[in-house]
Amino acid sequence: MSRTVAEPVRTHCPYCALQCGMQLTPGPVPAPDAPAASVSAPAGREPLPVVAPRDFPTNAGGLCQKGWTSATVLGVPDRITTPLVRGADGELAAATWDEALDVITEGVRSVQAEHGPQGVAVFGGGGLTNEKAYTLGKFARTVLRTPNIDYNGRFCMSSAAAAGNRSFGADRGMPFPLTDLGGAEVVLLLGSNPAETMPPFVQHLAGAREHGGLVVLDPRRSATARLAADGQGIHLQPVPGTDMVVLLALLHVVVAEGLADRTYLAERTSGWDDVVRSVAAWWPERAETVCGVPAEELRTTARRLAAAAPSRGGRGAYVLTGRGVEQSSQGTATVTAAINLSLALGLVGREGSGYGCLTGQGNGQGGREHGQKNDQLPGYRKIDDPAAREHVAGVWGVDPAVLPGPGLPAVALLNALGTPGGPRALFVHGSNVLVSAPNADRVRERLEALDLLVVCDFVPSETARMADVVLPVTQWAEEEGTMTSLEGRVIRRRQVTTAPGEARSELWLLAELARRLGSEVSFPTDPAVVFDELARASAGGVADYSGLSHARLDAAEDAGAPGLFWPCPAPSAGEPEHPGTPRMFLDRFETPDGRARMVPVDHVGPTDDVRGDAPTYLVTGRVLQHYQSGAQTRRVPELDRIVPEPYAELHPQLGLRVGVADGARVRITSARGVVEATARWTDVVRPDTVFMPFHWSGAGSVNRITSDAVDPISSMPEFKVCAVSVSPAAHGERDVHDSQEVPA
Amino acid sequence: MTLHVPLKIVVVGHGMVGSRLVDELVRRSAESFDITILGAEPYEPYNRVLLSDVVAGRTDVAAITMPEPSGEHVTTLRGVSAVSVDRRARTVTDSAGAVHGYDHLVLATGSRARVFPVPGLVDDDGEVRLPAGVHALRTLDDAREIVAASVNTPRAVVVGGGVLGVEAAYGLAGRGLQVTLVDTAPAPMARQLDSAAGSVLAAGLEASGVTLHSRTSVSEVLVAGGRAVGVRLATGGEDGEVVAARLVVLTTGTVPEAGLARDAGLSTDRGIVVGHDLASPDDPRVFAIGDCAQPPTGSRGLVAEGWDQARRLADHLSSLVAVRAEQAKRVTAPREHLRFPHEGERPSMAVRLGTLIASRAATDAGVDTRGTDVVKVKAGSLSIVAMGVSGARDREVPGQRAVTLHDAAAGRYVEAVVADGILVGATCVGDPRVAADLTAAYTRRTPVPVDPAFLLLTPVMPSAEPASSPEHMPDDTTVCRCNGVTKHDITRCWDDGARTPEDIATATRATTGCGSCREAVCGLADWLAASRADGGEAADAEPEPAGLASV
Repeated sequence: MSRTVAEPVRTHCPYCALQCGMQLTPGPVPAPDAPAASVSAPAGREPLPVVAPRDFPTNAGGLCQKGWTSATVLGVPDRITTPLVRGADGELAAATWDEALDVITEGVRSVQAEHGPQGVAVFGGGGLTNEKAYTLGKFARTVLRTPNIDYNGRFCMSSAAAAGNRSFGADRGMPFPLTDLGGAEVVLLLGSNPAETMPPFVQHLAGAREHGGLVVLDPRRSATARLAADGQGIHLQPVPGTDMVVLLALLHVVVAEGLADRTYLAERTSGWDDVVRSVAAWWPERAETVCGVPAEELRTTARRLAAAAPSRGGRGAYVLTGRGVEQSSQGTATVTAAINLSLALGLVGREGSGYGCLTGQGNGQGGREHGQKNDQLPGYRKIDDPAAREHVAGVWGVDPAVLPGPGLPAVALLNALGTPGGPRALFVHGSNVLVSAPNADRVRERLEALDLLVVCDFVPSETARMADVVLPVTQWAEEEGTMTSLEGRVIRRRQVTTAPGEARSELWLLAELARRLGSEVSFPTDPAVVFDELARASAGGVADYSGLSHARLDAAEDAGAPGLFWPCPAPSAGEPEHPGTPRMFLDRFETPDGRARMVPVDHVGPTDDVRGDAPTYLVTGRVLQHYQSGAQTRRVPELDRIVPEPYAELHPQLGLRVGVADGARVRITSARGVVEATARWTDVVRPDTVFMPFHWSGAGSVNRITSDAVDPISSMPEFKVCAVSVSPAAHGERDVHDSQEVPA
Repeated sequence: MTLHVPLKIVVVGHGMVGSRLVDELVRRSAESFDITILGAEPYEPYNRVLLSDVVAGRTDVAAITMPEPSGEHVTTLRGVSAVSVDRRARTVTDSAGAVHGYDHLVLATGSRARVFPVPGLVDDDGEVRLPAGVHALRTLDDAREIVAASVNTPRAVVVGGGVLGVEAAYGLAGRGLQVTLVDTAPAPMARQLDSAAGSVLAAGLEASGVTLHSRTSVSEVLVAGGRAVGVRLATGGEDGEVVAARLVVLTTGTVPEAGLARDAGLSTDRGIVVGHDLASPDDPRVFAIGDCAQPPTGSRGLVAEGWDQARRLADHLSSLVAVRAEQAKRVTAPREHLRFPHEGERPSMAVRLGTLIASRAATDAGVDTRGTDVVKVKAGSLSIVAMGVSGARDREVPGQRAVTLHDAAAGRYVEAVVADGILVGATCVGDPRVAADLTAAYTRRTPVPVDPAFLLLTPVMPSAEPASSPEHMPDDTTVCRCNGVTKHDITRCWDDGARTPEDIATATRATTGCGSCREAVCGLADWLAASRADGGEAADAEPEPAGLASV
């Protein structure tokens, strides 16, 4: 497995869905003046590879600090290098693979015997390669035969996915290449903060900013909102939880002022008339009283957007949604409102304009296509579709009848753990639910109630530390595979170095578990072979990868065309290779009649809204230096130094009112719990809103107090808004849970 | 699946409130009701609030059509009005002669324009008869006629300076007409604005091209050949000034349509008298909502109030269904349709309604309608909003504290009224951002700042101006956000030998993320080249680690 020739390897950043192109040169660290990855590997390990950015369409040669320092994660001192099994003394101790897998096999068998196959559940992650995600879904359905598999993408992509599927018949985050944004006159960013979450993305906003057309909807004047300053665009700053009202009002203005693209609506959509009526009640002045955005700002924005639409002679407009509007109990409806607006202006399925959602996790796109989702089979097929079951069962060599039906979605799954009738054993792959799931104190209770918790990770995350068995797995530069970026571009992840100690790929350990559990289903462990099987399983599905292979992706990249966009079906005999589909929907939508479906939606408001004893909104988000639960980035000293601890942004008026000074400890209480953090006074937040980033465990772990109310359609939790009270923390006193336990 | 016969509901009035009620009922439980709607106008329900925008040419008529509730349990009769109610037989007879039985009757008959009987507007018998060119602004037909008339005439008079009058005057002025607004009060919108705010608004209207005649009434509408040709103002007696205009818009208030109720023997005053539960005190099966109703809290004629009443009444009618279902259930086998709040899902309808019924007693006494009384004028750049405690007040209310910003020269007036730590009223003219913030604070009851005077301005923190030259930039300023590079990092790498932006990028990674800081880094390099050559600035002091401060 290990490489001997120290030649640079083309791969991609391990973190977000932008999947910045980078080049890794295997260690030893060369030039002393290169700051990159100048952290040495622990003794006895391979030297760390050196990171350099490379030109790839999404990052155009840029990398943020996370990317530059990503190699550090390969060599963190507390890397898990052997399987760990919790002993009689209650401590996790090193074990052999044989011992660990025996414990799991026995545990699974015993749970299955007592509680049936649904007693074992699986929780996956959007950071896993396509090959791993696919294998995990196959393992759950054919070996465990449990319906209960879902993944953390439920927390980030499910509302946009549900809305996209409903309106377009397909969900590819961006159904166009990211570089298309550069030519647009207006880019409307809804609840997205790429300047913080995927910095190199900002390059693609330059064109819109030159035209004064960057429109940012965010209750906070975020780093991205600040890019719209000085005439480069518009920042709309609504009351948290009212994004949908802004969208309904924008569409109202489009209708009222005759700005809609009537020809496009007639030819390419259905449902327009009902949507028109549904926004009649949202004239800007009324919208203002709900969302707090001045009526004239709403009008100006709608006109600006419409003027950029192709039907009005503009140079193009894009509407993009992010977690800020999606992580809501009305997330699917809000995305639908964004889609309706885009369709009314004739933007979707046109070169140079469009609607997209900004996928968050590294493989958040691919991870939602190949069977980790509770209701899905590979190729973005529905698990309750008999034809889909038959096709996939055929590829897997099983009887379609043995495939389970839809299982519990993430929040319901976590809440059911260890309850009567709920799962008693859980496999967690690539997720740190103790920090990243909403209402996290409840998640801790539920995990404690399990008979068996198996966590596969490469660092001892907070969730791993609770496990009965921890399995050390390969990461990023230690494995081969594919990822699907936020554009729907399938790209190659390549191995540069070998994993330390006993760490193994999930592909191997799942195959081994399948064998030990007596399955006769074949589980290949070579990623290229797994991909070929995935491609066959996806054939004919919405996300059709059947014309792709590792070899083809490698050849395309060598030829200067990195990555291929799905759908990319296998050609019929005698036909040339399918070129992939950079732009979807140009001729028709993936709906039965080929038209985009417009669905009327209305505003309901947050489930946990402000009230007398909780009069302030809490919103959450990310900082540039950290990624998701922070399990990786908190272990990188260069990143941790800059943002070492959780904090809460308070408007000075709020700080003065509740008696929390700048820099003091603040206590924030919701109906679910309490957190404490350091207060930062800033006017980027509204006086009625407090903001906290969510990358930490312990006393400042904000997901301990976020809401686990879910969207009725997507089951996505309402992370982004809840009601809290804000008060000074008791002087000098720190919560007992306030230990980060991350090595220096 | 229903366990019972649907509740028969007759709704009289197919306007914004009547149709909203039906929509709310259908959303809750379509099969529980059998609904008949009688609508006097021949149109689908439309957004009456936007008629002034139609007049102003700011909205397409197509944009004001509201969703029309439909379904197998909803019968809509358009162009049909209710003629009489027989409460004993529980029937309504319509103008087409049909008779509709009901379990519950909802009157949502709205209101009609009030017309003062001055010469020119009444016929010989004293009956109101509007000559051609004179229009109230109440219905879609009115709006269409005004729009048509505005095309052919250069001058218009708007009579009545309330919210609708201000919107109509502003809108017609925006169409290029010479508009005269005649108002009996000292300043427009006297019901919502005190004299200071009113004078700021008056100035704004004048600046928009509206000629204002305050403290003035119209004594006569001049008619020639059956059409209006102008109005005579009451100022100066019988020979009052004449304003020539072939378009006269009457916005002198409204009168609730309570005739049907009165004829049915129900108590009426200004409107149909109802209790907090929106039911007539004379007949628990009859409800009134919207402009026609007169609840104990009074009526301001705002649609938000009517919609709030529709929502509350829908809750109540649904709870009656739930009660019947519960009663029916007791005599049948237990069923699995109680889902309690769990796992973040919504509780089942039965549970929600049960909770509602349980909590009803507490809310019956004083229904909370706050937040529905925000008056936001639709007049483009003239930003005017009033809510709660606002306008001229005769006396001080103990515990209330009002702070005011009066900035006449800039066309701005802001008043915030605070009690018990929350905003209980506000007026804002000429500052849309502050108006939006006040509205959010008022409707959500968020606690007010320590000093309520903060409410009068858009809150901003004092922040350093962007440094005019690199020299004045603090050392810990983050230059490259993507890579957390400060000015200090850059000067240090310069002193270590870096000489070009490329050298700086190699050493610090500045500019290698999104590239937005390239200009700043180049500027720093130029400054360093110049200042270090001069033997300028001494070595920097060791700074704190960089924070997240932005450039």
